[in-house]
Amino acid sequence: MSVRDASAAPVSYAQLRAICICLGLALATHVASLPLWLPLTVGALVALRLRLAALGRAAPGRVLRLVLSALTIGLLFLQFHTFNGLAAGSALLCLMAGLKVLETRTRRDLYIVTLIIYFLILAAMLQNQSFWLLGLVVGVWWLTSAAWLRITAAAPPPGWRRSVGYAGRILAQALPLTVIFWLFFPRFDGPLWQLPPSAGGAESGLSDSMSPGDITDLVQSDDIAFRVHFLAATPPAAQRYWRGPVLHDFDGHTWRRGEAGGDAAGAGTVPQPAAGAYPYSLSLEPHDHHWIFALDWPTRWNLPGAVLTSDYMLVGPAPVSQPIEVLITSVSQVAEPPPLGSAQRRRDTQLPPGRNARTIELARELRDAHADDGGYVQAVLDRFHTEPFYYTLSPPPLGADSVDEFLFETRRGFCGHYASAFATLMRAGGIPARVVTGYHGGTYNRFADYWIVRQSDAHAWVEIWVRNQGWLRVDPTSAVAAGRVERGAADLGSAAPAFAGSWHRTPWLADLRLRIDALRSVWRARILLFDHRSQDALLGLLHIPEPDAQKLVMVLGVGLALGLAYLTWQVRRESQPPEQDPTQRAYARLCRKLASAGLPRSPHEGAEAYGARVARLRPDLAAPVTALCASYSRLRYGPGNGSGTGAARAARQAFAAAVRGFHPGAARRASVSS
Amino acid sequence: MSLSLRQAAITRLRGWSARRHGADRLPVRIVRRRIYILPTRFGLLYAGLLGAMLLAALNYNSNLALAFAFLLVSVALVAMHHCHRNLLNLSVDAQTETDAITGTDARFQFRLRNESALERRDIEIHAAGAVAIGGVTPGGTGEITLAVPVSARGVTRWPQFELRTRHPFGWFRAWTYVQGTLTAFVAPRPAGNRPLPAAAGEPGRTARGEIRGDEDFAGLRAYVPGVPLKHMAWKVLARGGEPAVRSYTGPAARPQWLEWSALEGLGTEARLSQLCRWVLQSEGNQSAFGLRLPGVEVAPGRGAAHRSACLRALAAFSPAAAPAAAQSLAPARHG
Repeated sequence: MSVRDASAAPVSYAQLRAICICLGLALATHVASLPLWLPLTVGALVALRLRLAALGRAAPGRVLRLVLSALTIGLLFLQFHTFNGLAAGSALLCLMAGLKVLETRTRRDLYIVTLIIYFLILAAMLQNQSFWLLGLVVGVWWLTSAAWLRITAAAPPPGWRRSVGYAGRILAQALPLTVIFWLFFPRFDGPLWQLPPSAGGAESGLSDSMSPGDITDLVQSDDIAFRVHFLAATPPAAQRYWRGPVLHDFDGHTWRRGEAGGDAAGAGTVPQPAAGAYPYSLSLEPHDHHWIFALDWPTRWNLPGAVLTSDYMLVGPAPVSQPIEVLITSVSQVAEPPPLGSAQRRRDTQLPPGRNARTIELARELRDAHADDGGYVQAVLDRFHTEPFYYTLSPPPLGADSVDEFLFETRRGFCGHYASAFATLMRAGGIPARVVTGYHGGTYNRFADYWIVRQSDAHAWVEIWVRNQGWLRVDPTSAVAAGRVERGAADLGSAAPAFAGSWHRTPWLADLRLRIDALRSVWRARILLFDHRSQDALLGLLHIPEPDAQKLVMVLGVGLALGLAYLTWQVRRESQPPEQDPTQRAYARLCRKLASAGLPRSPHEGAEAYGARVARLRPDLAAPVTALCASYSRLRYGPGNGSGTGAARAARQAFAAAVRGFHPGAARRASVSS
Repeated sequence: MSLSLRQAAITRLRGWSARRHGADRLPVRIVRRRIYILPTRFGLLYAGLLGAMLLAALNYNSNLALAFAFLLVSVALVAMHHCHRNLLNLSVDAQTETDAITGTDARFQFRLRNESALERRDIEIHAAGAVAIGGVTPGGTGEITLAVPVSARGVTRWPQFELRTRHPFGWFRAWTYVQGTLTAFVAPRPAGNRPLPAAAGEPGRTARGEIRGDEDFAGLRAYVPGVPLKHMAWKVLARGGEPAVRSYTGPAARPQWLEWSALEGLGTEARLSQLCRWVLQSEGNQSAFGLRLPGVEVAPGRGAAHRSACLRALAAFSPAAAPAAAQSLAPARHG
């Protein structure tokens, strides 16, 4: 009884191939976050199974499968050291899909693969929520569902086109319900349970350390770090420094945030505004770090749990793993700088012993010539300007004494090199200094009034402590002579576009790109950031007072009931015989009336013949019946029948009304009495 | 354990549905109140996946993932309606009586009528432990043959049959019970090597003689279904007359009796098997023959209907209650 359970039927090559194509597309949504060997391995497993199926052979034996599973899963564990977390979990899921395909024998195995494909699509959306992904995801869902329709069919399925068409109809009918669910399903503020820490390189953007050359990769990336909309005035370009990790510890090569760097005891150090308050909304893309890139110097923000560290980093309560939007107010000048504690001073003047000796020697010489701090700082900056220092995005690699090599040998570098060298010289000269990484500049989108800050706007600068003035920002990179800049870059302080790609050279392409980004920003604000506050606003639009979760659930229930009622009506209507048009219904009514008067229409009698017969048998009804039958024939078969013109519609309505007013019984009584 | 529980539940549901709807007169239109629907095991697995997806999307606070999870939930709801309507407003008719021979399949013919503009796919008919699958085009009629293997001689009845579908995705199973009795008349397996008895009053008849007998034209008689085509009087039909058959005289035209009593010394089933073989042989010879069993007599005749009457008599024969029971079971007789 093979038909009893179609799921136990052996799988055909065509079915296997269709599912493998869908799996390939689902993998494509993950390729960016997977180690390269994984998609290749899954591809090899799938190809092996397909080859066997094409040859008409069964799945490989259990021993081989076990060995392959153990090997690949072991390799995966070596790579990630965990299976917990999104990246590792997705990778494991991909691998399991491949292994499942390898052992596929019956349709039931394919069902499992299909479920994995659906989950893979979902996992892709947990990692990336771009506009384009949605299109890809709907496409993959559509194709997979069409394949699934064919696999689960008990009888041989129709052509692919019809399966795809049918899946599309189901999709169209499901959309209204989806929208109702999505709009009114209650959202929560935070996660339901603690999210596992990210593993396997989901982090992007700046990190909490900086080595020479680190930022190069970033500067070449066109990804968006965040978007900013200034609610009031826009600060001048020279003040648009977006503050990221502040680095204190230097080992001669790498700057690190250090142990005490992130001390959140600075909650009390919220600076007092002196001048120039700039309120803005910051739409941060996920980067999986705690910090939030605020403009110097943040004073107020609406992110619960976020604090300002003692070095003015705005740090959120959890890593930013989903897009967020924060309202922040920053000020350009801080009143009453807090005093520098002795521990802090010690840390920010410390240099690794025995490293960068020539630099320290240079600092001593300069310091001897310039006793005051201002003169010393200016002398160092002048040196960057007058000596043959070059700005380049492809500097030569540096070793352990990176500052010595940079200052005296290579003299080629970008913001990171200059910041590192400048901070080292400051510390060697006894001035507390720290390196600040973040972003500078950005591109204005005139189509929607906001600034786009990309990874290519990543920058590093230095803050030095000046008595009575507090921490001052110095950007040593801007000291490099304009003639020695090898590639245009935003971190020279210009508001010009960052990393120069061909995009920016063609004005209409740049405009198009800005328009697309404006759409994306709407997508982000309306769809991705839709939360319980948006739902409250939605209930307000529906005139529901004091919206809360309970009312939301009630609205969801009512909405679903309506949606399901509509669906039921729509679906059942299709299962009924095609409806007659109003003219036919009226004619059927006329026939019923005549039949109840003892004059049924014979099945194959046309309207005119029937009318003539009734007229013969019941002369008293001759006039109305002949007229009605003639007008039915005209309406139904005459020229322009069924047309939407006013005259045609009026004629149809007149016919229906005449039928309603026709009473054969009454007519007979009238004739008898006369 | 769970299987037997499930069996018990299904048995109860069948009984309840039989009481609720009463016996059906075919054709039956499948209306809403007689369609049941439940998720399949695979549907439950899918529901589990949806739950996991919703949790993941909520936990990661991802609106896009949430939209996808809701899309899949909505698709499941749509699929449920599609599964239900795949049976809705179908009309089902069946040829509820069929002849079979032990060891072969009893074939029941079902006719599904679909007046809607919607294609009906993957309709399964379940009865007597057998399954047949078919579909119906929009506005069309679908013929589905259900083959039930039969292994014992006798008259077997199944009080109801079931229409079932798992279309479109296999997540739901919609089904309906039709209280229409299916009857299979299972004739004995033809066996035995006794020679065919001679026709009455023709001792020494040969096999060739029967055939020669067909050649002496004797006149026309009214058409009855089952007459060999070569005996049709086509010219009469072509002139516009009623269908007629040329009749012949000859040895084979005289009735031949297949008698239970001629098989002394064999057991009941062996006798029935021998009689069955004779019936099939005589049918093959296109000669008129009659069948006599204790308490049952099928008058001489020929053609498919006659053959069917003889086979049914053999199927229904019960030696214990021979005189009484066999009479009541007497099949339609065609002279």
